[in-house]
Amino acid sequence: MIELSHLEFSYGDRRVLSDFSLTLPVQGITALQGPSGCGKTTLLRLLAGLERPQSGTISGIVPGTGAILFQENRLLPWRTVKQHITDVLPRERQDEAARWLELVELEDEVHTLPASLSGGMGRRLALGRCLALGGSVYLLDEPFAGVDPERTRRILTRIRGLGTPVVLTSHQASVLELADRVISLDGPPLHRL
Amino acid sequence: MEPTKANAKKSILAYLLPPALWLGAWQLGAFWVERAVEGRGNELLLPYPASVLAALMELLPSGAFWATVGATLLRVAVGLAAGIFLGTLLAGVTCSWVWLHRLLSPAIRIVRATPVASFILLVLLWTGRNTVPAVISALMVLPVVWENLVRGIQAADPQLLELAQAYRFSRWKTLRLIYLPSLRPYFLSAVITSTGLAWKSGVAAEAICWPRPGIGTQIYNTKLYLEIPSLFAWTAVVVALSLVLERLLRLALGRWKGGGGDD
Repeated sequence: MIELSHLEFSYGDRRVLSDFSLTLPVQGITALQGPSGCGKTTLLRLLAGLERPQSGTISGIVPGTGAILFQENRLLPWRTVKQHITDVLPRERQDEAARWLELVELEDEVHTLPASLSGGMGRRLALGRCLALGGSVYLLDEPFAGVDPERTRRILTRIRGLGTPVVLTSHQASVLELADRVISLDGPPLHRL
Repeated sequence: MEPTKANAKKSILAYLLPPALWLGAWQLGAFWVERAVEGRGNELLLPYPASVLAALMELLPSGAFWATVGATLLRVAVGLAAGIFLGTLLAGVTCSWVWLHRLLSPAIRIVRATPVASFILLVLLWTGRNTVPAVISALMVLPVVWENLVRGIQAADPQLLELAQAYRFSRWKTLRLIYLPSLRPYFLSAVITSTGLAWKSGVAAEAICWPRPGIGTQIYNTKLYLEIPSLFAWTAVVVALSLVLERLLRLALGRWKGGGGDD
């Protein structure tokens, strides 16, 4: 279990989390939903160790051991699709690139540069890179923005098959349907089994 | 007429027309000067293009000319390479350590603002005359490269740098995959600007220090003997060499896409 206890977090004068507590199971797919600005992205960044709470504690996860998918694609304009995957793989695992590209259905775009990808393809590339990086938990911020519902279901099913726990944020019904539990951040926590 | 042939003619015309117009203006200017001085030494003020061409043709077949060009080219190239290397090195260290930036940036800014003539005379006192042009070229190039690269490093996308941190990239991988490709346009611009600067300052240093052989020394001699068509001819040689060197560097750097590494 990941335990977040009495977190306080602000960006300058803007308070994002105030006396926030939450328990996240470290198994299956956990979806966080809520209106824009409710702190979903901040929560993932805190779990990834990219931000530190002003007060409160986070336990059950070692900062920096998760793999975060940022809200923006953050692709390198000068690297091809395949290079994006090999860049995060250690030398002895370079031949795994094809597997990760198949998982996000980009196997036909191996030599394509990001500028030539559609919005959804760029998102899938960023997702594939995050999955290839690996870690104790996948922290995915809107992983299927711009991806069609059918493809979203296929890819999410494959991600479930990896066995690594996933905490994701999403507004898409196709994603929330496949999650093991949905936690709403704008009210009392909802749990779906 | 076939469209491709028509296009080729158009592009040739586009290339040739501007220099032809400038040459025409020069010819007219020389003609006007000759009339103004009523034939009393117009070649001293503004020689005709044909006189300059004749002076150039006289120079080209001689071995001494090529030895002179080679010597100056070597000095300028050494100065340019040293300036680029040191400017890059200093940009790297000043961006890595704030205290070094605070220490070195005023010195580099002073180097940039100091008149080149002061440096030429100082370096002439400190070293031999043959060394001055290369040292001066390097000193003129260094601040330009440093400033461009520092700006490039500071402009590296913070989101990509955060990605590198979150994805546990090593320092070397961050440099290779993020900084170097981001720096490419800044580096290219610095090198192109520096090439012209290196030539100008290198030849100016030669004209003051008279290393032998050297284009600047020859330019100084043309002043001594009032061989103005030769002055124009040597100047044309410097301009041509600068453009050729700049073109070669553009080609070499154009191949550098950044990011390195294969699939």
